[in-house]
Amino acid sequence: MSNSRKYWNSLEQYNETPEFKARANKEFAEELPVEDFLGKEELSESSTTRRDFLKYVGFSVAAATVAACEAPVIKSIPYVVKPEELTPGVANYYASTFFDGNDYAPILVKTREGRPIHIEGNKLSKLSKGGLHPRVNASVLSLYDMNRLGGPTVNGEMKSWKNADQKVVDALNEARLQGGTVRVLSSTKISPSGQKAMEKFTESLGDKVDFKTVTYDAVSHSGIRNANKQTFGKAMIPEYRFDRAKVIVSFGADFLTNWISPIEYAKQYGEKRNPKGAWMNKHYQFEANYSLSGSNADIRGAVKPSEQGAVLIALYNELASKAGKAKLKSAGFDDDNQISRKIKEAASDLWSAKGHGLVISGSNDTDIQVLINGINQMLSSYGSTINTGAEVYLKQGDDTGFVNLVSEMKSGKVDVLFVDGVNPVYSAPGALDFESALQKVKLSVSFADRLDETASLCDINATPNHYLESWNDFHPKTGVYSLTQPTIRPLFNTRQSEESFLRWSGEKVNYYDFIRSNWETGLFAEQTQYSHFDSFWNSLVHDGVYHAKNQKTNEITFNEEAVSKAAAQIPAKGKNVKWEAEFYPETSMGTGSQANNPWLQELPHPVTRITWDNYVAMNPQDMVDEAGNEIYRINIAQEYPAKTAKVTIGDASFELPVIPLPGQRKGTVSIALGYGRTKAGQVVEQGDQTSGDQKTVGVNVFPYVGLNGGTMEYTAEVSIEPTGNEYPIGTPQIHDTMMGRKIVNETSLKTYKNNPKKKWNPDIELADAYGKTKPIEELDLWDAHGLGIGHHWGMNIDLSACIGCGACVVGCHSENNVPVVGKDEIRRGRIMAWLRIDRYFSSDMTKVKGQQDGLGKIDMYAKMEVPSAYPETVFQPVMCQHCNHAPCETVCPVAATTHSNEGMNQMTYNRCIGTRYCANNCPYKVRRFNWFNYMADSKFTDVNPSQSDLGKMVLNPDVTVRARGVMEKCSFCVQRIQDGKLNAKKENRPVIDGEVTTACASACPTNAISFGDMNDEKTVIAEKVKDDRTYNLLAEVGTKPSVHYHTKVRNVNEERVSDMIQATRPGENIKSESEEA
Amino acid sequence: MLLSKVWNKQAPVLLFVAVVFSLSSANVTAQDGAKLYKTHCASCHKIDGRLVGPALGGVQDRWDDEGNLVAWIKNSQQYLKDNPGDDYAHGLFEEYNKSIMPPMPINDEEVSAILAYIVNPDEGKEDAEGGEKMVAQSDVEQDDDATTYWLLGFIILLLIIIKVLWDVKASVKGLLRDVKGEEEFAALDEQVDDEGKSFGRALKEWAGANKALVTLAGVALLVIGLSAVYSGIMSIGVYEGYAPDQPIKFSHKIHAGENEISCVYCHHSAEKGKHSNIPSAKLCMNCHKGIQEGDQYGKEEIAKIYEAVGYNPQTAEYDGPEKPIKWIRIHNLPNLSYFNHSQHVVAGEIECQECHGPVEEFGYPMHQHSSLTMGWCINCHRETDVKMNGNEYYDKLHAQLVEKYKEEGIEKFTVEQIGGLECAKCHY
Repeated sequence: MSNSRKYWNSLEQYNETPEFKARANKEFAEELPVEDFLGKEELSESSTTRRDFLKYVGFSVAAATVAACEAPVIKSIPYVVKPEELTPGVANYYASTFFDGNDYAPILVKTREGRPIHIEGNKLSKLSKGGLHPRVNASVLSLYDMNRLGGPTVNGEMKSWKNADQKVVDALNEARLQGGTVRVLSSTKISPSGQKAMEKFTESLGDKVDFKTVTYDAVSHSGIRNANKQTFGKAMIPEYRFDRAKVIVSFGADFLTNWISPIEYAKQYGEKRNPKGAWMNKHYQFEANYSLSGSNADIRGAVKPSEQGAVLIALYNELASKAGKAKLKSAGFDDDNQISRKIKEAASDLWSAKGHGLVISGSNDTDIQVLINGINQMLSSYGSTINTGAEVYLKQGDDTGFVNLVSEMKSGKVDVLFVDGVNPVYSAPGALDFESALQKVKLSVSFADRLDETASLCDINATPNHYLESWNDFHPKTGVYSLTQPTIRPLFNTRQSEESFLRWSGEKVNYYDFIRSNWETGLFAEQTQYSHFDSFWNSLVHDGVYHAKNQKTNEITFNEEAVSKAAAQIPAKGKNVKWEAEFYPETSMGTGSQANNPWLQELPHPVTRITWDNYVAMNPQDMVDEAGNEIYRINIAQEYPAKTAKVTIGDASFELPVIPLPGQRKGTVSIALGYGRTKAGQVVEQGDQTSGDQKTVGVNVFPYVGLNGGTMEYTAEVSIEPTGNEYPIGTPQIHDTMMGRKIVNETSLKTYKNNPKKKWNPDIELADAYGKTKPIEELDLWDAHGLGIGHHWGMNIDLSACIGCGACVVGCHSENNVPVVGKDEIRRGRIMAWLRIDRYFSSDMTKVKGQQDGLGKIDMYAKMEVPSAYPETVFQPVMCQHCNHAPCETVCPVAATTHSNEGMNQMTYNRCIGTRYCANNCPYKVRRFNWFNYMADSKFTDVNPSQSDLGKMVLNPDVTVRARGVMEKCSFCVQRIQDGKLNAKKENRPVIDGEVTTACASACPTNAISFGDMNDEKTVIAEKVKDDRTYNLLAEVGTKPSVHYHTKVRNVNEERVSDMIQATRPGENIKSESEEA
Repeated sequence: MLLSKVWNKQAPVLLFVAVVFSLSSANVTAQDGAKLYKTHCASCHKIDGRLVGPALGGVQDRWDDEGNLVAWIKNSQQYLKDNPGDDYAHGLFEEYNKSIMPPMPINDEEVSAILAYIVNPDEGKEDAEGGEKMVAQSDVEQDDDATTYWLLGFIILLLIIIKVLWDVKASVKGLLRDVKGEEEFAALDEQVDDEGKSFGRALKEWAGANKALVTLAGVALLVIGLSAVYSGIMSIGVYEGYAPDQPIKFSHKIHAGENEISCVYCHHSAEKGKHSNIPSAKLCMNCHKGIQEGDQYGKEEIAKIYEAVGYNPQTAEYDGPEKPIKWIRIHNLPNLSYFNHSQHVVAGEIECQECHGPVEEFGYPMHQHSSLTMGWCINCHRETDVKMNGNEYYDKLHAQLVEKYKEEGIEKFTVEQIGGLECAKCHY
């Protein structure tokens, strides 16, 4: 009987209403929107029946199959005359130099069949020592940018060079006759030959013409030059020696990625982050924004921009009292996050390391920089950590000169204006209104590779070459020279700006010969090593760099008066406003000149981990109201977009999403420059922001840069109001903290020095089936692979040295043809990067504290999820760990991922059927699935370089471009390993340590990543793996990775071990106290 | 008997060769002249056109005194010194940019032989080359597989037997008709053929009676059909024997075979990188500046090289536009597999022929010899020993492997044993 029991879905069914009866006969409750996807009327009118359709499908499939059986006709077209140095299939490397007016790096360009495909650092350079920056190794993609102009333009239309030249020469001739005004507005130029070319140009103009060049940097450093003029009498930037500094105190200077010469500094800094070295530097950072440098600091203080001067005076006074010098009038500041204690500590550290201290500031305020000079003078830094004998020629931007030029232009006085290497319509402060000033210039000539914001308003664009198509020489620092040589013939009808200037000055010589003759009469004459110029020149082109000897040491006199005068200018108390904003150049975008480069757009910001956008970064504690309710969303994820805010500066305002950034000084926000380009090309049109009727990536905040006493000011008072609008955010990382796990093992220098390994990096032990504890290495679920024979490739990542810059990520993209997926896909967690840099904030709650407070586990973990208001940060690059007991290998149903006898976890794309079991089973989440055919899908046309004929040229021909539906992951750059082994075999010798390395290891500016054969005892890697600091990520899982990490050692004066180690052995003596109590 | 037939086939050829040789021996001087001309003159001179030096055709007419000509040929610089008054010789020297013709280590007789050859170059050539050609041809036939002839003979024999049996049947039938008369024969014939039943029914009955045989035949047919389908599917993307037409009728047989040019002279990057290159047209000019005419196609095909490099054989100058030659690639590996020539040629010390076949015997058009399938690769990796001896790269590895395979006691290791079957050796 019970079987006849009946269930009803609804009362309607029970009552059997007519509506229900009518509906019950339909399969779907609602009308299917068939028309929506078969919407075309023609389609429904079509007479094709289902049977016919099937016939057609069957026939076309059969036809396609038969057609596919035919032998493909592939043409193979050899050179008519083969260049001697070129062998098909063999890469050539050329030494060259990257300089875009902002970043400088000597590089090696890898070319295949005459196409540049990859950029590495030039290890011969004494300045960069092979270091790179993500903006530098991404620049190879800009060469193949579809949106580059194919030739010169006149009034926005493509014209011949003859036509364009005639227009310029006519205008110049008129100026010569009438005595007109000619101005060159350029980015920082450090080319000696370029300067000579400019001199030729000046000469050719004659005496009647009023001629001047004005240098302008989008992100100005003129405050330092001005300050040095006040204190030393010369507007210069000295050489900073971070490798000599035992204590570094930086006030908002992001010297690891953006300040003056970041590649040089990162290299020097990284060298001294080794706890085993002669010394390990101690790094203090005081800043409002949580910069990359700040996240690497041992001790960081969050300071409002307006209070930076006051804090600086406090430091000065601390040091003055130790030095027995007169104190300055102190200006009070808000003692949030124990700033005064940290300043005291910094002062005593600086004083005890007198002569080895270095204090810098990123401010563009002349007074603050004078104060910095005063402190460095007091610390005897000059002559040791700051070398005034060598001058840095980067960042020559002269803000005052620029402001004067704009007013000249506005007065209509300027007849001819050349705009070279800068984009002031985009990047100049809005108050200057450069755009309207430009309209008043009679003839404006720009040098831009596309009709960007400025070039599109200029009369003529003398389209220059890409730097990889040009010859040039550079002189970034006293005694340091380097050369740029072309690695490909100009792809378009372009001409580099130096050559254009030579042409317009009536010189018949081409720029290459011009450079040669300059070197012949210049540095060749000064050296003695080579007797023939040709051999000198050949060695120069081969090495790419040249270091002149006989550096002069410069005696300096310090003007003490300037310091007290400057201190007096510093306001007594910080601005009492609710919100202060700071504008900063971001690691990937910089000044926005490479905004159309999808690799850079997709590179996550190192600290916030956000891609494809700029945003308002705010401390999470500022994001809630007094009652604790969220004003802006803190936990942002795919389903949880950020909330936006309206930011008002003066009478202008813009809307940006608000992002939680623990560590951002409360009461301040920071917004990245370099976004919101409107005329950069198709990539920037992929953004979710709008400017006018155009889509952009992020919002341009350059117009809000202020002008303070002739220098640009990157801070502003703002008012911020929530709008309630939502905005999607593309970020590959959601987890902010380590939740008490030992993902990044960390200790302090004190603990490291005074305690054995087992205290701060204990071996992991687990109980076996019989309850006997054994080291994890001895517990095996599977048979071991016999890896003792031949090579066993391994990697070591020193977390103390890693600064999180992302050069490795871009290097990996370039080497391994990793597709770009765009913001929308990243938002869905489908980023394809084989190598990611995880960032973890520290939390106030630790396991130990939870136990002490008697918290329950749920409460404890809930609190552990929340980062501190001012946390410490660690970075951890994670790629495939090449486990020797790989969980992915055992679950693949088709054996597409297998183990090599050289210890690598191999991924075979042509075997993969895309079950994704491997990704599910990977504890490191490093496997990436090709959800789309990125090389053909129209969704990715605008972001993916492999889709255009031009962009395809950047692909590495040794690495497969993966198709849809397969897994991919880090291969340990197996193509490089195979190549290195083959070279050794062909040359009858063993593999030399260092000859085989991965793209990430070679890109790393701080040598944090090392790679090699662990079976060869003489290698660096074998030694590093044996080091006390070595541990494996999630070693307790028993995966036995081939990638090893070195415990991060922070130079803080306290005992410290990782929370997990601490929690597993209560009662032991090492006491952990959070830095931010 | 058949075997001896095949052997006997060679006899007339051998005989012909012998005859040609005995005939050509009557023309010794012209033969020597041709040989001497090739050795000493052909690299700088042609008979009917300029090369490095002037055309040699009619040289005797240009020189008044044959003695002077011989002296000039033997040592031109000495001749110029000895005869300062000979304006023609000095003019010639000036005309050719004072390029010196080196003294020739030949005696007067040999010079005369060369001159005789120049006067009548075709006389010796035809016979000599005809002989060579014949020899080459007979070589090829000798190399041919004898089984083909066996098979052919067998088939012919079978056909003959069938024909004979058919004829016997027909004549027996005829005889029967004559004996029995037309009507009776028709009745008998029907009875003999199918005993009055239709063919289909007869087949059915026969099948019913021979179930085992039919089943066996059915299974056999199925197996044959399936294996045909299977091999059809497996041959998709396999282009063994692929021999597309090429823009130039280039014969490897002439170059690598007859002239014994080393493979890597042209395909030099096979030793350096992953690709084995098709040589640039300029490389062809190393030889074809001199060799302007071929045996098979005359000037036509070689002129295509000149067209490509923009060379004018009349003026011996590169003055035309360059036009790359669009060869059709024969050996195509799919993009998903990485293959490196230098790995195999240099490190593996494998002969080109092991994969490409006896290329020196392949005429035009060149074809793909091996299947180039993954199974084919793997098979070789399983069987081939790594050339470890004398390569320091392998020293340590070899010692370790000897230790590992101590029980087997082997000293040589296959590619497989050092990991040569792993996916990421070729797929990345």
